[in-house]
Amino acid sequence: MSEHRNLISAGGNIAGRNKRYVVWFYILNLACGWIGAIAASRSIHALTDHSLYASRLLRSFDLEVFFELLGRPEIGPIGKFAAPANMMAILFLVASLVIMPGVLLGYASDHRISRDEFYRACGRNVWRFVRLFVFFLIIAGIISGILFSGLNALSNAADKTSNERLPYLVQLFGTIFILIILTVLRIWFDLAQTDVVLQDQNAVRKSIAGAFRKTRHNLVPLLASYLAVAVVALAILVSGIVLWNQIVPPYSVLGAFIVSQATLLLLLAMRFWQRAVAVAFQVREITEPVIEETNSVPVFAAVS
Amino acid sequence: MRLGHWAVACLMAAMAALPVCADDSATTLAIPATTSAINSPTPLSQRVVAYDMSAKYNATAHSLEGTETLTYHNLSGQPLDTFPFHLYLNAFQPTSTWMREGKREGTRNQTFDTWDNKSNGAEEIKSFEVVGQGDFTSQLQFIHPDDDNKDDHTVVQVHLPKPIPPDGYVQFKIKFHDQFPETLERTGWNRDFVLGGQWFPKVGVWWHGAWNCHTFHAYTEFFADFGVYDVKLTVPQNEVVGAVGVEVGNVNNPDGTKTVSYHGEDVHDFAWTASPHYMNYDDTFQGSMGPVKLHIMMQPAHWSQRERHARVLKDVMDRFERWYGPYPYKTLTLVDPEPGSQAFGMEYPTFITGGTTWLEPEGFHLGSAETIEHEFGHQYWYGMVATNEFEDAWMDEGINQYTQAKVMDSLFGASASSVDLAGITWSERGLDRLFYLPTPDLDIIAKNGWQYANSDAYGNVTYGKTAVVLLTLEGIIGEDTMRRAMHTYFLRTRFTHPTKEDFLKTIEEVSGKDLRWYFNQAIYGTQVLDYAVLKIDSTPADWYKDNLKEKKGETEYVSNVWIQRKGEFAMPIDVEIKFDNGEKVRERWDGQDRWVRYEYHKKAKIESAEVDPNHKIMIDRNNFNNSQTAEKNPTPGSKIANYWQFMGQLFAQALAWWLV
Repeated sequence: MSEHRNLISAGGNIAGRNKRYVVWFYILNLACGWIGAIAASRSIHALTDHSLYASRLLRSFDLEVFFELLGRPEIGPIGKFAAPANMMAILFLVASLVIMPGVLLGYASDHRISRDEFYRACGRNVWRFVRLFVFFLIIAGIISGILFSGLNALSNAADKTSNERLPYLVQLFGTIFILIILTVLRIWFDLAQTDVVLQDQNAVRKSIAGAFRKTRHNLVPLLASYLAVAVVALAILVSGIVLWNQIVPPYSVLGAFIVSQATLLLLLAMRFWQRAVAVAFQVREITEPVIEETNSVPVFAAVS
Repeated sequence: MRLGHWAVACLMAAMAALPVCADDSATTLAIPATTSAINSPTPLSQRVVAYDMSAKYNATAHSLEGTETLTYHNLSGQPLDTFPFHLYLNAFQPTSTWMREGKREGTRNQTFDTWDNKSNGAEEIKSFEVVGQGDFTSQLQFIHPDDDNKDDHTVVQVHLPKPIPPDGYVQFKIKFHDQFPETLERTGWNRDFVLGGQWFPKVGVWWHGAWNCHTFHAYTEFFADFGVYDVKLTVPQNEVVGAVGVEVGNVNNPDGTKTVSYHGEDVHDFAWTASPHYMNYDDTFQGSMGPVKLHIMMQPAHWSQRERHARVLKDVMDRFERWYGPYPYKTLTLVDPEPGSQAFGMEYPTFITGGTTWLEPEGFHLGSAETIEHEFGHQYWYGMVATNEFEDAWMDEGINQYTQAKVMDSLFGASASSVDLAGITWSERGLDRLFYLPTPDLDIIAKNGWQYANSDAYGNVTYGKTAVVLLTLEGIIGEDTMRRAMHTYFLRTRFTHPTKEDFLKTIEEVSGKDLRWYFNQAIYGTQVLDYAVLKIDSTPADWYKDNLKEKKGETEYVSNVWIQRKGEFAMPIDVEIKFDNGEKVRERWDGQDRWVRYEYHKKAKIESAEVDPNHKIMIDRNNFNNSQTAEKNPTPGSKIANYWQFMGQLFAQALAWWLV
C-alpha cells in the first residue's frame, strides 16, 4: 500500500512542480475545442441571436427547442459540425504525441529544463513516439477487439435471459474490465515512452519489451496508482457535471463556461498525474537498476 | 318450354332468390344481452357478434388449439351470403403482404434483414362449419382485398349458398390451430411469456354497404364489430393469466393444466397473456358509472413500480372521465410485458400493455407513464369510439396522441410533461412537433394506413402531425370549446364506427365555426405552414436633419414590420410588436397574401415582433423565424455552442488519454 502511495505522491509532486505543462496542454485543448466549434457556433447564433423562441433555452435545457434547432436545415446533419470537431481532436492528439517527449523529460528532471532542451527532446523522439503509437494501436486494437467481441457475446447471452438487469450489469462490469485491461496497456506504453525519452532509446522495441517486463513485475502498484488517479478523474467529471447542473443558473453562459472548463482542466491534470507516476517509477528504476537490465545505458544522469 | 314447367321453374328461382334463414335453429339464435362485465344495466353497443371460444395453449411449442363458435347478427339491412374472416397470424410468413411491406420499409424497428424461423406465425382453419348449412372447410378461399399478393393468407372468405336475411343470425363453428411467432406486432411469445393478440378467426365488419376486411399490413392495425366474448383458456398451472373482460372461472385440470374463463361485453377484440413470472397488484378506480377493478400484472423486476403504475393509471382515468366521458367497463388490465419483447405499448378493449425498465427515474415520464396514458387513451379512441384503424389510423392514434398531450400536461405540467429530469425538460407537444417536422408534407392525414409513403411517414403523420394539427385547432377555437367538442364526439360516437367527417363535423358544430378552410389544408392537404418575421426597422422621422440626436422617449420614429407567409398553408395569425417604451401592439393578419407590412409612428423604437405570440400554432414548421428582436441576444446560442465546445474538448482529451 505504501508503495502505491509513494508512487501516487511522487507523481503528484512531479506534476505539481510542472503545472505549466498542464496549462499549455489545456490552452491547446481549449483552442482546438474553440476552433472545432466555430462552424457550429456561427450556424447556431444565426438562428438564435434574434429569436425570442431561442430564449426558452435559458429557462431550462429545453429539449423541444434543442432538437428543433438541430433539425433545422440551416444547422443540417450533426455530422457537418462533428467533422471540424473531430479534426481538432486529431490535431490535439498529434500535438500531444509531438510534445509529450519534452514533457516527460521535464518531469524526469529535478530542475526546470530550458526551452531548447524541451524542443530537442520533442524533435529527437517524434519518430520513436510515432512508432510506439503504431505499436500501441496494433496491440490495443487486437486486444480490445477480442475483449469487446467477448463482451458482445456475453451481452447477447444475457439478453436471452429473463433477468432484465443482467444485460446492463454485463455491459457495465464488462466495460469496466476492458477499461482496466486497456489501462494496463496504457501503463505499459507510458513506461515505454518514458524509457525511450530517458534512455534516448532509438530501438523502441527494446523499450516496449523492457516496459512490458516492468509492468508485469510491478503491475499491482502501477495499476493501483493509475486506477486511483482515474477514480479521482471520474469523480471530477461527475462533480463538474453535477455542479454545472445544480449550481449554474440555466441562463448563465459564463458560469457554465467556467465550470465546464475547470472540469476539463482538472481532467487533463489527472492524465498528467498518471504520466508523472510513470516517470517517477522509471526514475526509481533507472536510479536503482535491476541487475539483469544493466546493459542499457541510462542517459537520465545527463539531464538530472 | 311448356307453361307449367315455366311456372315451376319461376317459382323455384324465386324461392332460391329469397333470403333464407340458415336453419330453423337460426331463428332462436341471439347475441347475449348480459351486462355482468359493464357498469350499465343495459348493453352499451349494438352487439353484432358473440364469440364463444376455447383454447388450449402449448407453452413449449408456443401453439394453440382452438374452437370458436361465432354467432353473427346481420344488421346490414340486406341478405348476406359472403363472410370474410381475418387470419392475422398468417401475416408472419415470409411471403405475406405484412412481411413484404415490413421488409421494404421496416416496421417497429424491425428490418428483417434475414428470415428467422422464430418469426413464423400461422393461423390454420382445421374445420369450418356453418350451422344448418354444413361444412365449408374445403370451400374457404383466401382473398386479397388490397393488393395482388396471392401468397397472403390473412383474409379468408366463405360463400354461403343460403344467404342470411336482414336481421337474421348465422352461427359459425370453427376449429383452428395457431402458431405464435416470437413477438411481432405485439403478439407472440418471448421465453416463457406469451401475449395472444389477433389469435382467432375474426369476421370482418359490414360498413357503409360493403364488407370491410383488409389484408393485414405492416403499419395498420385492426377493425371489428362490438359484441360479447366468452373465452376459456387452458394453460399450464404455473402460468399467471390475464385477458380482456372479467375473469369468471379458474379451474385446475387433472393433466397439470388449468382453465381460466373470461367474459367480455361491448368489446370488439379479445387478447390474453400468460407468464409464470407475473406478480399481480389490484386496485380500484371509482368511475362515474361504478367501480373499475384495476388488475396490474407486473414483472418481478418492476414490482417496486406497481404503485406508480396504479397512480398514473388512476390519474389518467380521472382526466378522461372528467374531460371526455365515462369508462363503463368493470375491469381494466394493465400488463407489464416481458422485457425485451415486442409486446409493449398495445391496446385491446379493457386490456393494455405498458412497458418499463428496472431503472426509470420519477421525472422520466416518457417511459411507462406515457405508455400507460397512451394505451389507456385507446380505450376511448379505438376501444369505444371504434374507428377503422386500417383506413383512418389518425382517428385512433392521432386523436389519442392529442389527448395524450392534454392529459400529460395536466399530470406533469405543460413544459415538462415528457421529461423533467435534472434541469432537462421536454413537453408532450414538443415531442409531437418532433414527430411532425421531418415529414410535414409527405402525406395527407386522411389516408388509408397502408398507403403512406413509408413507415416514417405513417408514424409521423398519423401520430405527430395529427396531434399538432389538433393542438393548433384548439388554439383556433379555444381550449374549452375543443374539450366540449371532444366530449360531444365521444358521447355521440362511442360504441359505433364513426368516420372522419363525423369527427370534423362535430368540431364545427360545437364550435359554431366553419373550419373547412383549416381541415382542407391540415387534414386533407399537405400544405406546410411557415410564417416569419421578415424584417423589423425603426428610422427617425427626421432622419434627413443634420446633427440629429436620438433621445429615448422624445425622438419620433417610423417603424416598419414585415411579416411573410413562407409556406402554402394560409391562416389568420396574430402579430405582437413590442416597443422600447414597453408598449405592445397586436395586429391580426388574415395571412392570405404572401406578406404584409405594418407601419407605426411613435416616440419609441421597435424592440421585437412576434408571430403567434400566444404560441397556439403548433404546425408552424420553423419557430425560430416567428420572431425577430432588434437587439442581438447571443446568450441562447452561446449556451448551446458552449455545450458543443465542451463535448469537443472532452472527446479530444479522451482520445489523447487512451492513445498517447
